Order: sequence, then C-alpha cells, then structure tokens
Amino acid sequence: MEFSSKLLEKTIDVFASLPGIGRKSALRLALHLLKIDTDSVQEFTTAITNMKTHIRSCQRCHNISDNPVCHICEDARRDKSLICVVENIKDVMAIESTAQYKGLYHILGGIISPIEGVGPSDLTIDSLLQRIQEQEVKEIIMAISPTIEGDTTIFYISKKIKNLPIKVSTLARGISFGGELQYADELTLGRSIVTRIPYKSE
Amino acid sequence: MYLQRLKLIQFKNYTEQEVEFSERLNCLVGKNGMGKTNLLDAIYYLCMCKSYFSVQDRNAVQYGESFFRVEGDFLKKEKKHRIVAKVIPQKRKIVSLNEKPYKRLSEHIGLLPIVLIAPDDTMLIREGSEERRRFLDQSLSQINPTYLEQLIIYNRVLKQRNAALKQLFAVGSRDKTLVESYNQQLLKPSAYIFETRRTFLEIFNPIFKKYYKEISKGAEQAECVYKSMLWENEMSVLLQENFEKDYYLQRTTKGIHRDDLVFTLNKKPLKRFASQGQMKSYILALKLTQFELLKKEKGVTPILLLDDIFDKLDKYRVEHLLNLLLEKKDGQIFITDTHENRVEQIIQGFNTDYCKFVVVEGKIEL
Repeated sequence: MEFSSKLLEKTIDVFASLPGIGRKSALRLALHLLKIDTDSVQEFTTAITNMKTHIRSCQRCHNISDNPVCHICEDARRDKSLICVVENIKDVMAIESTAQYKGLYHILGGIISPIEGVGPSDLTIDSLLQRIQEQEVKEIIMAISPTIEGDTTIFYISKKIKNLPIKVSTLARGISFGGELQYADELTLGRSIVTRIPYKSE
Repeated sequence: MYLQRLKLIQFKNYTEQEVEFSERLNCLVGKNGMGKTNLLDAIYYLCMCKSYFSVQDRNAVQYGESFFRVEGDFLKKEKKHRIVAKVIPQKRKIVSLNEKPYKRLSEHIGLLPIVLIAPDDTMLIREGSEERRRFLDQSLSQINPTYLEQLIIYNRVLKQRNAALKQLFAVGSRDKTLVESYNQQLLKPSAYIFETRRTFLEIFNPIFKKYYKEISKGAEQAECVYKSMLWENEMSVLLQENFEKDYYLQRTTKGIHRDDLVFTLNKKPLKRFASQGQMKSYILALKLTQFELLKKEKGVTPILLLDDIFDKLDKYRVEHLLNLLLEKKDGQIFITDTHENRVEQIIQGFNTDYCKFVVVEGKIEL
C-alpha cells in the first residue's frame, strides 16, 4: 500500500507492531483516530503513557498494581493461608472471573523452559519461597497449564518446599463441563478414566 | 488398503503432478535423478507426516519455492481417506484427513501403515545406533499410539534436561533440584518405552528368524538382540548415579535414547564379519518382518515401497522377494527401477495386474 502521508504510515507501522493487528486493521484504527477530535486522541495517548510509567508489580504476588501492594493482597476478606500459583496475569483474571476462589495469588512470570532460556531464577520462585516462610501458608494450588514444561515447574516448586508442612495441590484435569464425551480428545478421556473420582450425590 | 490417487505440488522435483495407481502393483521406471524415489517419498510423507530420506521439510520443497502440498486418496476398508499435507517449512505444517486438520500430527501416524525398503538401508547395519532406534520407532509408532506419545514426551523432557545441565554448568551451580524434576518426568515414559520395545522384540524375533532363513537359504540363526541400560538398572538409579558425569558432559548419558539393536548371526555380531550378501538378506528380512507385524497388528496390509531393489539385490533375491509378496493376494506395492524393461520381464512371470509409469524430469508418463 502507498500512503500520501509519512505521518500516517508511521502510525500504521506502530499499530501493526501490536499482537493480533495486521496492516489493514492498523489502517482502520489510524484513520479512525484521524477522524475523532484531538482531545479524545490526547486521552488515548495519556492513558497509555500513564499506564506504562505508573503501573508496577505487586511486591508480594507480582500482579500488576497501581500501588506497592495490589488490591487482592490488601483485601482483608481473602484467605491468606491459601496461595494460587499461576504463570501470568491473564491466568489471575481468568480465575478471578470464576468468583470461586478467595485466596491469594502468586504470579511466576512464565514457566521453566531451559530450551527457551528460562530457568528457575528468571521466575519469581524465590519470592514465593520467601512468602511461604514469612506468611502462614497452609496450601498452595498449582494452577499451571498441564504441559511438559508446566509439570516441570510444579515438580520444581514442590521439591523446593517438600520439607515445609504445606499441602500442595494441582487443578483437576479431565472432561470439561457441558462437553460431550465423544468429542473429548483421547488423551484427556484416557486420563480421566484413570484418575476417575468417587461419585458424590448432593 | 491402497492409494488410488496422488497429487503433488512443488514437492521435490515435481512442479505439479497428478497420478492414479493400480491397487496391486505399480512400477515406476526412469533414469537416475528423474524423481522415482521422490514419488515414493511423497507417499511415505502422507502416511508418516515426514520424509523417509530428508529429516527437514525444507529439503522437500521444490528448489526456489516456499511451500509444498501432497494430496492422496487412500481406500481403507472400503472407506475413502483423503490425506492432504500442506507445508510451509519452518512456518506451518497442516495435515488433514477428509478436510479435517489434525490437532496433533501424531494422531495420524498408524492410520495408513507403510514400509519402505531402500538401498540406503544398509546404514541400518553399518551406522550408529540412531538408525536402529529409528527402525524400532518406525514400527512401534505405527502400531501403538501411546508409544509415540510417550516417546515425544521423553524426547521433549530430555531436551529440556540437557538444556538445564548446560545452564547449570555455565553458571557453575550444583543445585540439582531442576534436573531432579526432569528425572522424575523421565521415569514413566522410559519405563513404558523399554517395556514396549522389549515385548516387541519377543514377537519380532521368531518371524525374523524364519524370514532370514527363507531369504538366505542358509542354516545360520539370525537374531536381533535388544540392548538397553534399563535391563540392569532402573532409570531413576541411572540418572541419579550419573549426575556428576551428566553435569560435566552437559547432556544426559543414560537412558532409552541410547538403546540399540545388536544384529547377530549365530550369536555373533553381524557388523564385524558379515558379507555384502548376508547384510542384504538381513535388511530384507528385517523389513519383511516389519511388514508382517504391521499387517498383523493393524489388520490391514501396509503399503510397500521398494526403492531401487533391482540394482542392489541380485536376481535371485529379487525373484524370491517378489514371490513372497505376490503369493499373498493383497496389498499395494510400488517398485522403482532404472531399466525400463527389466522390471516388466520379471513381473510378467508372475501373472499379476500391474501399471507401469515412466518418470522423466519430475513428470509421469503412462
């Protein structure tokens, strides 16, 4: 595509560098910004600059936060003896939106994968161990994706705390709710048969 | 089971080619470098999601092009299976069955069993243990999907463990915790793979002995001995005891990735003393055993690809081989030869339907 303005082209380049945005969408966004009034655009750029310069990560759980300690960690109603260990911030949001969990979180910032150059020291594992020692923690829940690297991360952390009187649990793995058995993939179905659970009628 | 139709786009030296095959015997003739073997490789690709000869997909794309496509219609138990492989090397690789793309390529392996016999196969005897493990894995991953799944997990964990050892060595740390996590993850797959390979050889050897005897017309006893460190020790012990060694070498020195097959004749290793003729008979017997076991385990006759066997085997062995194959009344076979008439002369003696294709510079003429 040829553009009549270098300024427009630069804006498109910037938008297109974002994940999930191609050059056509970038063009649409840029033209839209051109159409709306300057104040609205200012609002846009200020919001982005402010977010980038003022946001920080929570000292305790490493969630994104406006304050040194995030609102989840500060919340007095939450169960401080329970820590849910997740890979990234998106996982926190996913679990929060279930409204089923009332404990605290710990965000690792990735999973262990030496092939990609990510070792235990690149994650917030040391800070997790410190938290466990300082805080009264009874249980940590490993809410980490069931992949090979996820399993490694769970093994690693549980080895590090094996001498502490803490319960370690992982998310249940199996057939999804509302899913039909015939469409479940063989791996999941096979595992679900092996790790079946006793039936409880309520 | 057989391949009805094959279509190639930018695969090796084929720009675009569509061809229909006989359900029984297909002879591909043409001079060297015309594309006979490439055609067999395309068929192999549709069954195994990878080339038999080149490890990397980018070597399968026609020179100067960016992608290739291989499409084939297979008829198995009266049902049509259209397999399409669309590959942009290092970017995208999609294999689909009847228009539905597979989530994991490993799910496809074993649907359409296949055996390829190529002259390069003497590498099986002469080269290192990797070739022989590849032979084992080719057979077992077609027979048993769990084996393939466990093998993929094992290799992935092993790669991570080796990378972890390198990092540990680089920073001079002796913290074993991460490596021990990998040790733990290797236990289940290694036990499964060892057990599966062990039982496989138990059923492999009796059939193999019979074939070797038939082909060589000799009295020697042929046997493939499964060699593994896991015979003597548990994987957990091997990994624990060799931590120091692994640490300094920065790789995992023990495990089923070092397994081997020892090919023996009268209990003596073949590698040291065998003649050319004995090696050829041996390879042929190995492949025919693979063929028979696949047939037995899968309940369908595998497609058989015979690459350039006339140049590598003497007339007696070739006739014997064809005798063995054609006396059974089913199964699709592809044969390549550089001499246009030689293969026809031999086949005419068998009174079997066949199609002949002439391959010229990446084009097929009937």
